[in-house]
Formats: sequence, structure tokens, C-alpha cells
Amino acid sequence: MASIKDLTEFVIQADIEKVKETTAALLAAGEDPLKIINEGLIPGINEVGERFKEGNLFVPEMMMSAQAMKAGVDLAKEKIEGADIPNAGTIVIGTVAGDLHDIGKNLVSMMLDSSGFNVVDLGVDVPADKFIAAVKEHKPSIVGLSALLTTTMPAMKEVIDALKESNLRDQVKVVIGGAPVSQAYADEIGADGYAPDAALAVELCKKIA
Amino acid sequence: MEYASKHGDGIAFRTLTLQQLKDIHSASCRILDEVGVIVHHDEAADLLKRGGAYIDSNGRTHVPEAMIKQALHSAPSRITLYNRLGEPAIWMEKSNVHFGAGSDTLVYLDPFTGERRDWTTEEVANAIRVVDALPQLDFVMSMGLLSDVDKRMINRIQYALMLKNSVKPQVVIAEDAPTVADITEMAAAAVGGREKLKNMPHFVLYCEPTSPLQLPFESVDKLLYAAENKIPVNFACGAVEGASTPVTVAGAVAQANAEALCGLVLHQLKNPGAPFLYGFGGSPLDMRTMVACYAVPEVLLLQGCVCDLSRFYSLPSWGYAGCSSSKDFDEQAIAEATMFTVMGALQGCNLMHDVFYIESGRTGSLELLVLMDEVISRARHILKGVNTTPEYLAVDAVKRVGPGGNYLGDAHTAKHFREKWQPTLSDFSTYSSWEAAGAKSMRERIRERLRSIMQEHKPVPLAPEVEEKIDAVIKQAKDRLGI
Repeated sequence: MASIKDLTEFVIQADIEKVKETTAALLAAGEDPLKIINEGLIPGINEVGERFKEGNLFVPEMMMSAQAMKAGVDLAKEKIEGADIPNAGTIVIGTVAGDLHDIGKNLVSMMLDSSGFNVVDLGVDVPADKFIAAVKEHKPSIVGLSALLTTTMPAMKEVIDALKESNLRDQVKVVIGGAPVSQAYADEIGADGYAPDAALAVELCKKIA
Repeated sequence: MEYASKHGDGIAFRTLTLQQLKDIHSASCRILDEVGVIVHHDEAADLLKRGGAYIDSNGRTHVPEAMIKQALHSAPSRITLYNRLGEPAIWMEKSNVHFGAGSDTLVYLDPFTGERRDWTTEEVANAIRVVDALPQLDFVMSMGLLSDVDKRMINRIQYALMLKNSVKPQVVIAEDAPTVADITEMAAAAVGGREKLKNMPHFVLYCEPTSPLQLPFESVDKLLYAAENKIPVNFACGAVEGASTPVTVAGAVAQANAEALCGLVLHQLKNPGAPFLYGFGGSPLDMRTMVACYAVPEVLLLQGCVCDLSRFYSLPSWGYAGCSSSKDFDEQAIAEATMFTVMGALQGCNLMHDVFYIESGRTGSLELLVLMDEVISRARHILKGVNTTPEYLAVDAVKRVGPGGNYLGDAHTAKHFREKWQPTLSDFSTYSSWEAAGAKSMRERIRERLRSIMQEHKPVPLAPEVEEKIDAVIKQAKDRLGI
């Protein structure tokens, strides 16, 4: 039978079927689900992250590995009662009101997800009150705001203002991104961080979470 | 060969075979039929439904091929654009090529100091005047995003600057239909009235779907306004291959074509016969950095598909040239921009924009613009092809000069040498005379040219009463928006 170590290799190879098969077999044999996650699945995605940093592996491959890992985690989770599943932090993310563009935001979501964050993606054209409701519900450490249009950039400030009015601003870090957005704009509207691309967005979130 | 581009005396170029064109068309029809699009605009959804589209329980609009055929039948195969003086200036049809600058770059790369900074109104006005002065640039766009005006007024003020600083036709970006209405008002004032503008268009409106397969409210609103007012308009997906479209060239083309055709269907339902410009572009995601890259080889192939499809459909074509993903006006920028320009010319793209874009559209380089003016001139010369009539085969001249002679003193040389391509920037002198003249690099010569244009070029001015009308449109818009 394949071992926990093999599971790590299957995550790296992004072989969803083998990850599922092996996880199921290990669980059936009575292996501790948390051990399967922490010693089998997560080391796989960590290794993938390392290889990406070294330039030996590309984002689509990382995404496929993340899907393989998640397939295993989902199976293991069913056997965990009450215990908290480890994650890197919760982030509420969305494209601000008036803006339908979600490619950049989705990339950031997917990469955060692949890096172990619990991502609550509110989608596109998200009004400020929806962000507030999500912060209240999910208690994230980070709120991520995206805009592609210069005309919708002011809606980012509206979310920050709404967080202040709801006395939630101190509880979350706000990070922003999108083609026309800059560090200068982040400073102007009082955001806690800005990242020019999805990979750096993940770095940023890891740093401030 | 009806789909290939044919130039001058025989230069021909094609990217796809006829069978490949049919396969792409079929794939696009399947996407519109089997997958459908989401239309965020009630009137548009209603128009499509009444035209024969099916709206499913998930709110997706499925467009049958018969509607596409109908739209292709009613859309004109050619468009003439007129300059501000009312003269025909751009003929979008067949394999005619035209070039222009780009819009809304975020960063101005100062050509004299190398400094990167936000664009001011004065810098945008200057940049438009440079485009006006360069003979190979056929149309103007807004160049840079104005950092010194209220965000809601940017598109309107950019348009006023285009009218005031150039006579050339424009391609216009506008955030919504009310902005297009104000731009139309300004254009009408400049060319002599709404009716004249409607029949002798001075600008093209640039509209985009939000890929994959969404028709956002503002874009559709503008598209319908353009149809109604016979403003030439495109519906051009900016594909980010691997994110907003499939990663393969054929997949990106199939989806972007579906989106463009869907725009065309809607446009022709609103006003059959209104002018539509077919095309789209791509900037594939670099899978290491997640940056969308301009001017990579796949994008040039994609544009070849666009141009072949446009002729297959008998629609005028829209595309790109002279742009780069490089951060500076450097060797990468020149390699990419030159390649795109030459390929675009060979592909026979009717209206190519973004000449002067670097950093994949975030930064504008006037130095690249000036250099591309000469590259376009070289490319246009190639498109003339080779004349093989007896006068040009020159057997008589060969007889006259004979073995061991010299053509320099022959009448045939004197008669035809002026037809040869002449540089405006490139230097063909000897090393010693080049050195004696200051050993100026191409970059220095480009800057000198820029300086002299900026100091000396005076665009044909608007009549004072027209300027007043344009300023009044701007003022009314400010009042309306409470600025």
C-alpha cells in the first residue's frame, strides 16, 4: 500500500486520482487524518511552492497540485471531528462595486488558496456593505480589494471608510490590487498593502496575516 | 486566396487555411450556441431574444448561427474615416494598413530625462501633437491617463485634447454612453454638425466584452449608442490567454471571435448596416510572473488569425502594432515593436493601434513612437511589392550599359532611383562622416526629432467658435457631474 510519503509525491505530481485513492486507503487503514494532512499533503504543496520559487515549476502546475492536495484534505476532513483544520489565515476578497473584472482577483484567490489560506471570494461588483457583512461573518485577518477600472478605484476607499464606520478597521488589514492601482494610491486611501502581481500578493498576505 | 492579404504587386500573406477558418468559425458558433453569454443589459438581452436567441434558466443567452449569418450579411465590408477637415483619410477594407498610437497609458516615460511619471494634460497634448506631425501615423488615441483632472472627466478632456492638437481621425475610449454622447457632441462641433459626422465618421469607438463571455452594461450601452449613431465601433476582447481565454492560440481566437461576433449580432440588430470593426488582441499570461505580455510570437499569430477571419467575414479589421512588453525604450522594445509592425503590415490589418506602448501598455514611449514612424515607412515600402513590367525589368537599360559598364550614369537609374525607400532617421553615411557629424546614435537622432516636433509643429487650429463649443461641452459635463 502507498504510504504517507507517497502522498507527498502524488501532490507534487498533481495526480488527483492517486491522492484520493491513497488518502482513502490510509484512512481505511486507520491512519490519523491530521497526520495525513500535515505529513503527507501539506509537505507536497510546500515542495511545489519551493520549486515554483526556484523557477522549475509554473503557476498552472501549482494550481493542479493544489487541487490534488485539496482532494486529499477534503477526504481527510470528513474523519476529523471538531478539530480545527490548519490554515494560513482567512482572507475576504472581491472586486469592488461597479467593476466586473475578476481575472486578476481570481488569480490572487487561487494562489492564496494554493498557499493554504482560507479564501472567502465575494466575486465581482461587490458593494461596501457586502464586504462589511463578510468581515463580520468570517472574521478574516485580511480584506483584499481589486479594481481594473480607474473609475471604480474610488470604491476601494468606500470599503475602507465603511470598515471604519463599522469599527472593524482595526481588526483587519486591507490590501489592494489591480492594473491602475499603485502603492501611492494605497497610501492615499489608507490601505495596509499593495501588490503589483499575484505572486507578490501571496507574499504580502503571508507577511501581514 | 480571398482570405489572404494581398498587397501591391503581389506580396501575399496568410496565417490560416480556408479549412482552418471554417473550423474556427464553427468552434465560435458552438461556443455561442452551446455555452452562451451573459448579457448585463436589459435592452440588449431583449434585442437578442427577439432576434432568435434563447435565454436559459441560468440567464445565459445562446445565440444560434443563423443570427450570426444575418449580422454578417447586413454589416458593411468597408469603412472610410475622415479627418477633422472632412477629407477621407483612412480606408478600412481589404488589406489596407493604417497605424495609430494607443490610449490611457499610466506612465509617461520622459524622452529627454528618462523619468517615469504620471501624465499631465500638457504632456498628453504634446504627445498628440507628435502623432499629428508623424507622417506614418494615421490616427490618434488618448496616449496617457490624465493625472491632473477629475477622474470622471478624463475621457472627455482627452477627446478635447485630441481635437485641438490633431486633425487626424481618432480611436476613442469612453467609460460609458453619456461620455460617448459628449465626445460625439465635440466631434460634431469640429467637423460641422451631427448629420455630417454620422455620414462621414471622424472617430472609432473602442468597446470590449469582459472575457470569458460576458457583455458588461457599459460596453453594451456604448455599442448600442454607436450603432444608433453610426459611429464605427469594435467589440474587441483583450484576451489574457491562460486566464480569460484558453491558453492555446486557436482556443483564444475561437472564444474572442465568439465574443466579437456576439457584439456584431447585437450591433446589427440595433441598427442593420451600421459600421462595425472586427478584431481583438491578446496578451498571454506569463506563467511564472502572472504578467500579461504584449507582442510575444503567439500574439502575432493571433493577429494573423484576426486578419484572415476579417476577410473571410468581409469585415474591416482591428489590431495592434509597434508595442512591447519591455520596461524601457530598449533593444527588447525595438525588437518586439518592429516585429509586430512588420507582421501587422504583412497581415493586412486595417487599423493597428498601440504604436508607442511599452511595459505591455502601462507606459508610453514617444521615442518608440518616433522610431516606429520610420519602421512603418519601411514596412509600407515592402508592401508595394516588386514591379515586373518591362520598364522595371530594365532589359533595355542592361543593353545600353552592357558588360563592364556602370548604371550610375544611365537614364534608367536617374528615372527610378527616387522610388527607392528613403530614411528619415537611419544613417547611411560612412563612419568618418557620421563621426564628423557628431557620432549621433539613433536614440540621439530620435530625441532631436522629438524636440523639433515639439517646438515647431503647429497642428491645423480649430476655429475659435468651435473651440468655444468644445469647451462648453466640457463645462456642461462638469456641471452635470457636480465637479
